[in-house]
Amino acid sequence: MRLLATFALIACCSSSFAEEPAPIQLPPAPGPATGLADSAALRATVFGTPPQDIAPLPQSVPMLEMDLALPWRRPVPQIFWFDKRLRVWLSAQKRPAPLAIIISGTGSDANTSKLSVLRAVLYGAGYHVLTMPSPTFPGFIVSASSTGIAGDLMQDGHDLYAAMGEIIAHLPKKTRITDVHVLGYSLGGANAAFVKSIDDAEHKLHIHRAVMINPPVSLFATIGRLDKLYAVSLGNGDAGIERFYQQLYAALANAYRASGRVELDEDFLLGAAAAELKSDAQFSAAIALSFRIALSNVFLAGDVYSGAGVVIDPAHPPKVGDSLEETARILRGKTFAEYFTRIFAPYYLKLRPSDTVDSLIAENRLDSIGERLRSDPDYYCLTNSDDLILDRAELAWLEKTLGSRIAVYDHGGHLGNLGDRQQAADLLAMLDGRWQGSR
Amino acid sequence: MAGKPLMRVGIGCAVAVLLLAGCATREVEFHHWPAETPAADNKADIARMQGLQAAAAATLATPQGAERAGGAAEPPPPLLKPDDAPSLKTYDPWARLNRFTYRFNARFDEALFLPVANGYRRFVPAPLRGGVHSFFANLSEVDSVINYTLQGRLHRTVRSFGRFVINTTLGIGGLFDIAGRLNIPYEPTGFGTTLAKWGMHPGPYVVMPLLGPSTFREGAGYVVDYATEYAINLGDLYRGNQAWGLGITTAIDQRANFDFRYYSTGSPFEYETIRFLYMRKQLIEDTGLHKTKPLPKPNPEEPAGK
Repeated sequence: MRLLATFALIACCSSSFAEEPAPIQLPPAPGPATGLADSAALRATVFGTPPQDIAPLPQSVPMLEMDLALPWRRPVPQIFWFDKRLRVWLSAQKRPAPLAIIISGTGSDANTSKLSVLRAVLYGAGYHVLTMPSPTFPGFIVSASSTGIAGDLMQDGHDLYAAMGEIIAHLPKKTRITDVHVLGYSLGGANAAFVKSIDDAEHKLHIHRAVMINPPVSLFATIGRLDKLYAVSLGNGDAGIERFYQQLYAALANAYRASGRVELDEDFLLGAAAAELKSDAQFSAAIALSFRIALSNVFLAGDVYSGAGVVIDPAHPPKVGDSLEETARILRGKTFAEYFTRIFAPYYLKLRPSDTVDSLIAENRLDSIGERLRSDPDYYCLTNSDDLILDRAELAWLEKTLGSRIAVYDHGGHLGNLGDRQQAADLLAMLDGRWQGSR
Repeated sequence: MAGKPLMRVGIGCAVAVLLLAGCATREVEFHHWPAETPAADNKADIARMQGLQAAAAATLATPQGAERAGGAAEPPPPLLKPDDAPSLKTYDPWARLNRFTYRFNARFDEALFLPVANGYRRFVPAPLRGGVHSFFANLSEVDSVINYTLQGRLHRTVRSFGRFVINTTLGIGGLFDIAGRLNIPYEPTGFGTTLAKWGMHPGPYVVMPLLGPSTFREGAGYVVDYATEYAINLGDLYRGNQAWGLGITTAIDQRANFDFRYYSTGSPFEYETIRFLYMRKQLIEDTGLHKTKPLPKPNPEEPAGK
């Protein structure tokens, strides 16, 4: 689906408007655009965990969708009419069990394929499992965010925490909980740590353990790296994206013509696209595009809610039924850095007058809760030594801060080993309190 | 196909759905879904991955190979170059109506269609669902036989006819896909594809009520397919009260086997994304119908489909 989603993004793109000078500057990300990733890591990031390497999974996992109307929901803009309610999924055991709450990665909903794997692993190990969207998922921004401006780890943590409280209060009565843990992957990993740190202060949910899977250390260093990756692999204008689309289209068409098939199904498309993606540049482009897809939605929601007027005229917001094609085209040219400088920073600097750009950047690092991560034995981390969202210093910081409570695998890139046998076993050991340190 | 009487049902349901849509006022709503089957899904993923790797290797090794199962040796198709890709834009002159219909479909799906299909998946045993699915697939072979003939792809005509005979007899009226087990794959076609084979462009993008993304050509093909089935009236299934039952059951079967949920992306750009993907899929399928003809160079200024 990621490959298709990447292909789909191109639908929204073809030109960008002239850039206005940004009054706020984000420092450039240090190091290479691919962070610690090598060729194998890029490939693993695109294709994910090979199915034969996935941990043993249960035969059946019950699925209950919960749609919640949260009391603090802000007015819903017309173009987000379908995102009124927060949608989460519960897989409940029939007996009393600990609850594992999983937070999705950047821009993702509460039922991704990655969540399915984690859900199955945890349910099979005897947990009730609740999966939640990322606070950067449009459905969360609209239905559960108190600001509408996603990306601030502490603010998003508070919104997630409040939403978790509502969800737990409304769980089916027969769901009996003995303990509560929180975990997440990618950005969701950092969100999980912040949620636990909030609970450590507020003691409302009594969250016991938190596990971060492939988390970023510095949000804005990571997004700077992703902007750089996009610029390096696809360029800043339209030529690169169009060339990528044309190459992929021709490759898919040629593979289809050669196959003799009648119908072009998803399996065939994925296989053909996978066969076409070979070089580091192509993998990089696919990764950068998938993050840019997520950004488009976050940017749009942030612009609408903040009234910044970057792509949406606050005086004439689009209505249901209006074409968003032009908006999509403009957004395709928008970087993470531009989201920070034109939406995020102006909003939060106004909201918190004592903050500065530097303090905003500093607050959105894991080390803003570093002391807690260092001293509380219930924070854990699983990551890879070739993760593209980290650099050497960030990985070293994680290792130094968490000590024996981190497992660092040699390969896997960014989430390219999610749910594999070793990682699943380590995850369960951490959540169960059996973790004795890396092998 | 057999699902066309659904349109009559849909018109009848439209008002109710519009009333239902957006009326959710409870603080929390619970929706039970069919259980996930991770072990079986993982096993299927492994098999699929192995199949894809083999297919990709074969495709890359012989990019101009003969038809996979057709048996008719065709001249190697000229390879498309990146410049042969259509524009990023999509021909959608009826966008406002299409967007309205897309929204209507989303609401209909969420309020009625999807819950019914989920209930069907949860409570009807898999073997029975499989039999129903095979039954409707077998009925659709009638359209395939006619349209493969009109397309001049006689080997496929013979294959579809063979499938129909085998499954109707040995498969007990189509309840079992015996032909599939004999390695005769199910590859349906319709009048929309026939029009494409005859050289008609997809035309404007169209969102059909209840049925979803289409093009002017595919929509016209759909109407002709329905008229053909109505005229043939196989087994007296397509006229009278039984047509309603047939249409509703087909619709539920198709929805239960289609893994898609409106706005699960959470994105306001979903309409644009689906439109883009659907039109490219159509255009790539069109290239497969005209392997030996040199393709006209697409005009980068023209939206795809025009």
